Amino acid sequence: MGIKLYQEPKLKQPDLVVGWPGIGNIGLVAVDTLRGQIRAEEFGEIEAYDFFYPRRVVIKSDLLVNLEFPSSKFYYQRLENKDLIIFIGEEQPTDGEGMYAQGRKAYQMANLVLDVAEKFECQRVYTSGAAVSLVHHTLKPRVWVAPNRQELIDEIRKYENTILMSELEGRGGQGSITGLNGLLLGVAKKRGFKGFCLMGEIPDYLSGAPFPYPRASKSVLEVMSSMLGVEIDLASLDVMDARVEELIESIYQQFPAEIRERLEQRKLVAQAQPGAITEEDQKWIKEHIDEFFKKGSAGDDRPL
Amino acid sequence: MTDLFRISGQHKLRNPSLVVTWRADAGKLGARVTDYLNKKLGGQYFGEIEPADFSPLGGVTIEDDLVQFPESKFYSCPKNDLVIFKGDPPSHEWFKYLSLILDVAGHYGQVRELYTVGGMVSLGAHTAPRELIAAFNSPELKQALSQYNLARDLDYQTPPGHRPTLNSFLSWIARQRNIPGASLWVPVPFYLVAVEDPNAQKKVLEFLDQRFGLQIDFQDIDEEIRKQNEKIARLRTLSQEVDEYISKLEGNLGLSEEENEKLVKQIEEFLRSKEPGL
Repeated sequence: MGIKLYQEPKLKQPDLVVGWPGIGNIGLVAVDTLRGQIRAEEFGEIEAYDFFYPRRVVIKSDLLVNLEFPSSKFYYQRLENKDLIIFIGEEQPTDGEGMYAQGRKAYQMANLVLDVAEKFECQRVYTSGAAVSLVHHTLKPRVWVAPNRQELIDEIRKYENTILMSELEGRGGQGSITGLNGLLLGVAKKRGFKGFCLMGEIPDYLSGAPFPYPRASKSVLEVMSSMLGVEIDLASLDVMDARVEELIESIYQQFPAEIRERLEQRKLVAQAQPGAITEEDQKWIKEHIDEFFKKGSAGDDRPL
Repeated sequence: MTDLFRISGQHKLRNPSLVVTWRADAGKLGARVTDYLNKKLGGQYFGEIEPADFSPLGGVTIEDDLVQFPESKFYSCPKNDLVIFKGDPPSHEWFKYLSLILDVAGHYGQVRELYTVGGMVSLGAHTAPRELIAAFNSPELKQALSQYNLARDLDYQTPPGHRPTLNSFLSWIARQRNIPGASLWVPVPFYLVAVEDPNAQKKVLEFLDQRFGLQIDFQDIDEEIRKQNEKIARLRTLSQEVDEYISKLEGNLGLSEEENEKLVKQIEEFLRSKEPGL
C-alpha cells in the first residue's frame, strides 16, 4: 500500500497543485480545469484500497472482473515558466461519514502526497477550496488566501481579487480549512514546504447545493495562474458557469420575496455583515434549499 | 522513527531536567519562555511527537493569517543538561501523550526534574508585581525549592464543572515514575491574555535561571517590559476610559463584564497597532 509511479519524469523544481472534493467542488474543478488545459500527463497514483471503500463492482458471466475505487492520481507537465505536478483525489478518505477526511488516514494520505512532492523537489504546494461567505451569487467571488509561512503574506497582497483573513472584517485573522485541502498545508508546513490555500467565495445559501460552483473555481484559477505564471483559457469554466447560473437563478426566484429582498442588499457590499439576513431566513433556506435543488435539477441531465 | 514520535541526532544529555510549555497559553507565556530559552541557551530540536493519534486532523486553523498545525517538539540544551518541550495540547489520548513527553525527554537519560509552565488569568492590573506559584508532586522538591521566591501554602481543588490542567496530569504521571516535579503558574492580567505578558515571562525565566544556573542576561526582556508599560501608559493618557478601568483594578476594585470587555478590546487593539516612536 502506498505510492505507485508509472514513470519518473525529470522535472525542474516543480510546484505541486492539489485538489480534493469540497463545498461546491470549487478547488477540485479549478485544479481539474488546470490539468486539462495544460494537458498534464498521468504518472502515478496512491493505491486506493487501504483508504477507500470500493464504489463499483464489475461482474461478467458470474465472475468478479473488477472492483473500482475512487482514484488519487498524480499528473505532470513541463511548462515554459514552471514545471507542475498535479494531484487529484476523487474522494477524501473518510470513516464512512461526511465528505471530509480526518485522523490517521487523512494524515497518512497528506504525507504520501508530500512524499512525492519531496521526491521531485517541489518548491511550493497549492491547495484550494471554498470560502462560505455572506455574498451574493451574482458578484464575482473573491479568493481568500491562507499561506503557511509568514514570509508569503506580502506576496499575496500583489495578486488581484485576493484577500487575507485579517482583511475580512470581524475575523481578526482567524479561520479554519476543513479536510485535506487544509490539512495538507499544515503537514506541508511541518515538513518545510511553502504553501497556500486559495479559497473561492461561495454564498452561504449555496454552500449545501449538490452541484459545483464554477464561478468561484474561475476566480481561484485566475489567482492560481498568476501565482504560477501560467496562462490558462478559462472558457470552459464560463460555459459551466452559465449553466449553473441559470439553475441558481431559477431556484433563487422561488425564495420568498422578503428573503430575496434581504439577500439582494448583498449586491451593494463586498461582504455583508452577519445579520444581513435573519436567523429565521437562514433556517428557512437551510430547510428548503435541498428540495429546491431537487426540483430544479429534476430531469436535468446536463453535465455540470 | 516510530508511528508515535521521532528522534533525530545525538545529544549529550545525562539526567536532564525537563521544562514543559504549551503553545496555547495565557499571554503566550509557554511559547515565549521556550523560544527565549532556546535563543539564549542554543537549544536544538531533537524530536517530536507525531500528531496523528492525538489531534483530530480534520483540517487546519488559521491564526493571524497563517495556517497552523499541531506541534509537539523537543529541544536539547546539552550544556545545561536541559530538555525543553513546546506543544499543542492533545484533543484525546491525554495519558498516552503525556507519558510520551516523559519517554522522549528521557531518551538520552532519565529525567531528573520536571517543571511545567502555565499562565493563569488574573483579574489584577498589569502594574502589580507578578507572583510565581508552584504546586509540587513531591515533598522533597518542595523542601529543596524552599529558598526560592515562590508563593506558599497553595490550597486548591478543581471547581465543579472544570477539569484539572494537563500540567497537573503530567505532574501526577511523573510522580508515578518517581520524577520530582513542579507546576509553575504565573497570573497574567486578563487584558494581556490574548497578547503578550513579558513580565510574566520574566518571572518564570528568572526562576529557571536561578534553578539551573543559566546566567541569562535579561536586558532584552526588560526592554520589552519597559516598552509594553510605556505603550499602556500612553493609552491611558489617550483614553480616559482605559485609565479609569486600570485605576480601579489598581485599587483592587472589580470591573463589570462590559468594562472588562471594553478594556480588553482597547488594550489589544493598541498593543497590536504600530504606533510610531514606541
